[in-house]
Amino acid sequence: MKKTIPLLIVILGGLIFVAWAFSPHYLIQEVFYNQFYLPWIYAASGFAMFLGVISLSMMHSNKIKRRAPKWQYSYLFFAGFIVTALAGFIGGTQKGSVLMWMFENMQMPMSATMFSLLAFYMASAAYKAFRARSPEATVLLVAAIVVMLAQVPLGVRISRHMPAISQWILDVPNLASKRGIALGVGLGSVATSLKILLGIERSYLGGGD
Amino acid sequence: MNLFERMQKLDRRWIYIVVALAIIIPLMIPYDSDNVTTPPTENLYQMIDSFAGREDRAILMSFYHDAATMPELFPMEVAILRHAFERNVKVFALTWSPAGAPIIEFAINTVKEEFPDIQSGVHYCNFGYKPQAFAMILGMGDNIANTMNTDAEGRKLENLPIMKGINNYSEMNLVVEFSGSVAGMSWVTYARPKFGLNVAVGVTAVMAADLYPYLQSGQLIGMLSGLKGAAEYEKLVDIFAAYRDPMIDYSITVDEDGNKILPGRPFGREILNDESSLALSKITTQTKAKFTADQYAAFTAKYPEHLTLLNSLRSDEEGLAVIDVTQITPDMRDQMGEVLFRELNQLTRNTLYKFKVARIGMNAQSVAHIMIIVFIIMGNVGYFIQKARGAKD
Repeated sequence: MKKTIPLLIVILGGLIFVAWAFSPHYLIQEVFYNQFYLPWIYAASGFAMFLGVISLSMMHSNKIKRRAPKWQYSYLFFAGFIVTALAGFIGGTQKGSVLMWMFENMQMPMSATMFSLLAFYMASAAYKAFRARSPEATVLLVAAIVVMLAQVPLGVRISRHMPAISQWILDVPNLASKRGIALGVGLGSVATSLKILLGIERSYLGGGD
Repeated sequence: MNLFERMQKLDRRWIYIVVALAIIIPLMIPYDSDNVTTPPTENLYQMIDSFAGREDRAILMSFYHDAATMPELFPMEVAILRHAFERNVKVFALTWSPAGAPIIEFAINTVKEEFPDIQSGVHYCNFGYKPQAFAMILGMGDNIANTMNTDAEGRKLENLPIMKGINNYSEMNLVVEFSGSVAGMSWVTYARPKFGLNVAVGVTAVMAADLYPYLQSGQLIGMLSGLKGAAEYEKLVDIFAAYRDPMIDYSITVDEDGNKILPGRPFGREILNDESSLALSKITTQTKAKFTADQYAAFTAKYPEHLTLLNSLRSDEEGLAVIDVTQITPDMRDQMGEVLFRELNQLTRNTLYKFKVARIGMNAQSVAHIMIIVFIIMGNVGYFIQKARGAKD
């Protein structure tokens, strides 16, 4: 019973959405989806956000209580959360507000800095690990160099054919492999979905079976 | 330890320093370079441009990303907004992520500063953050005003002037999804087959390869990939949308037949391939407005009351009449008025920093790419020499 009811909910929910995806009938498209499902989902999304805030706050407060490793940073979470929320609620989100100032001068540069670290890791990895150890690795290396050169204005100065060669690499060998992967993922998703709908796949219920 | 062994064991901090310098120096010292435009960028540009001046057409910009991916995506958003504002294209904006809401505000405000006539609710409309993307995507296919209900400022959509002639995807016929993922596929899955919506994406460079299949199949009508895509779009806007002909009087907005006269000019392959058009998209500071004899005569004819002043500023270089805007004193500026001053500045073909960020970034990326290639070659040379020596021993 403990597993049968959740299983039935999943199967029923899944079948309803299969019907919604494939049937243009008024009952499923208008009555179920527009009149019943949409209003519910709007209400639920607000609660989901609320649940997220509660969950995150509980995690950090527990961390502080237990003096878990790096617990001091949890105070920063609360500081950031409270200050940002107050700035938004009190000052609004329009141009010139405290929230926008914080966004432009704190969040934007800090987030961009984290993202830009990628360039340093890539350069280091390229130097340390990108070796032509086998014919396949050599092909990969040459393709990478051509695409990298064609991406920048300097590449066009080296040869006007560079963008065309790069485009061919992206359009032909790259696409062949991408399509193969996409088809594999698609078929896998369909098979997994069917297994869940038919109650064969139950690992999401927990308990190991 | 010989040189090649040292090369193999080079401390990564040296690599970090070289990469940092390779990026910082070109950012601080901009130089003119040509970003050759590619079909995915050109197709998107042409699609947006085909909506120019039309009451019954609009584009939707979906800002589905946070601040981390802004260095790559923000210049694209600014370039497209600039294009739309220059060419009188209606713009709607939304985000599926709460973190995207301030980015919409920031992007619109950044561009709007240069377009004093552009108004919220008339020329653009920000829906703000909306949860439940799938429901919204499908709902807008039936009716935008009913689905979105209000804009980010809480105004009822049905009362806004921008909604005149805009009901659903038949009119708001193009969406551009900006993200650091394959989120644009939601539009391809739900809105394109059912409503015939045209979908384009602006993505970070690392995600571009994942989206090429959809581009080739035609499910995506265009794609801006990373900073390069943004740089290409900036260039197209400079050459076409922001172009001003000295001989045309842009204060006249309607021709004799009642048709709208739009600033800028339509996309043209021959213009793009013409070497002289590169002068329109320079990123170094430009201060001189240059005219042929005919252009100068036509230009001064628009401002007969300022002819003496313009002649006093004029000098001749290589057979062209030249006006250097740095020679204009505050008194002269007061005398000539803001309209003439702005037009002269536009004719210098100088681009504001915020409208050339991606191209400046591409210069840095050029050097960084070359550095990475050099690193790869050096690493391999060291590896093979060391391997050959090991085999010999």
